[in-house]
Amino acid sequence: MSQSLRPYLLAVRTSLTAALCLEDFGSQVAERHNVPEVESGKSAEALLNPMTIARNENEMVLIEPSINSVRVSIRIKQADEIERILVHQFTRFLTGRAESFYILRRKPVPGYSISFLITNFHTETMLKHKLVDFIIEFMEVVDKEISEMKLVLNARARFIAESYLVAFD
Amino acid sequence: MLMLQYQNLLLQSVLSERLDPETPPLGIDQVVSDFDNVTFHISNPDPKDKTVIMVSMYIKCFQDLVKCGAKKILEREYGPYLTEPEPGYDVSLLLNLTDGSIPSDPEQRDELVNKIALLKRNTFAAPFEKAFDKFDQLAEEAAAEGKDLYAPQKSDNEVMAIHYRDEESIYVRPSYDRVTVIFSTIFKDETDRIFGKVFLQEFVDARRRAIQNAPQVLYTQKEPPLEIRDVVKPSSNADNMGYVTFVLFPRHLVASRRENCISHIQIFRDYFHYHIKCSKAYMHSRMRFRVSEFLKVLNRAKQENVVKEKKTASGRTFKHPN
Repeated sequence: MSQSLRPYLLAVRTSLTAALCLEDFGSQVAERHNVPEVESGKSAEALLNPMTIARNENEMVLIEPSINSVRVSIRIKQADEIERILVHQFTRFLTGRAESFYILRRKPVPGYSISFLITNFHTETMLKHKLVDFIIEFMEVVDKEISEMKLVLNARARFIAESYLVAFD
Repeated sequence: MLMLQYQNLLLQSVLSERLDPETPPLGIDQVVSDFDNVTFHISNPDPKDKTVIMVSMYIKCFQDLVKCGAKKILEREYGPYLTEPEPGYDVSLLLNLTDGSIPSDPEQRDELVNKIALLKRNTFAAPFEKAFDKFDQLAEEAAAEGKDLYAPQKSDNEVMAIHYRDEESIYVRPSYDRVTVIFSTIFKDETDRIFGKVFLQEFVDARRRAIQNAPQVLYTQKEPPLEIRDVVKPSSNADNMGYVTFVLFPRHLVASRRENCISHIQIFRDYFHYHIKCSKAYMHSRMRFRVSEFLKVLNRAKQENVVKEKKTASGRTFKHPN
């Protein structure tokens, strides 16, 4: 793990653990409704201060806490065109399977690559520290995966170009 | 499978089975597709006579190829078998199993089958053969005049254009010291475009890095290269258009390498797109694996269900007192 990644992930981990302090909270606007307050945004007193943790201008995490839900958005590093398309494909692949990921939001918050929405119902059935582990592991692995895919693509391109041109000899 | 084959495998296997005298003649009516909008049709012209087989081929750009002398090549390669083209097709070959025109020697028969399987390759070879012959002629003239080899020079040689797909074409231009082959290529998909760029960059760099004897490869986007600027039709999709230029030097055009060179350059587009698709498929399988790993991590967060039916040793359900 690189020198700047460790404190970044540590900051995300502690902030997320602090933010994941959720309770059941029925809507104050509509009777017998129970919606994630961070999504509806209709009662200002149920929302808490959002925070951004940035490693650099290309990689950051936005944590938006509220009384019964937390929205975590991640901007994945996209240095060039290839990484941009790989990140796009990867996040599309994940959001297409949001059903089985429970906490994955189908659409990312504008400006971010991927978003998670954790509600009190999730923290009731799942272990909080393991949920945090998942988010941290996701952030760690996704960068590695994208750069590996890029390397593989380049290696493959080089190999096929050479084997095509060698045949002319 | 790294390299694509030059021949059509399905055509080859169907014909080698049909032409084998030991297999009983069966009725056949099969359409076989190939790259670049080429379609083959294997059938019995007279449904009652199963010993006569007709192989027809449709090529979208047949008129372009005829202009470059495709008929002559077909005559040379398939002379005795050529026949009046079937309606809707451009070239037809007639194989009569009974009149002795099919060699009985298995090796010779295989050779014939391979030749027919190369029907598309041979038809597409026309512009290249013409260009290479023109190159020979120009090179001789240049040698006679004592021109400096490789000195840049404006020449007014005709560019042969083959519009082999809807929006993509091959341009071949002979000169006295080289033959230039230009593929115009279009990417329908954004991912394809970016992957294609990576691949093409490697094609351009490969020569510089490892293989000095390979043809020079150049790549331009949007703007057609100078050689074909007057020939290219303005298209609505000009922004997505890329041009790949292969410069074949005299060393690639010597008689012993000529045939291989023609076959190999023809499959460039198919090879290139095939490998883009392969990389996409690989990425997909990788992402699939990664997603299942993520799911495993997430499922670890789930609490194990403590409410579990318990049974006593005799098999009765154990109920908690409260």
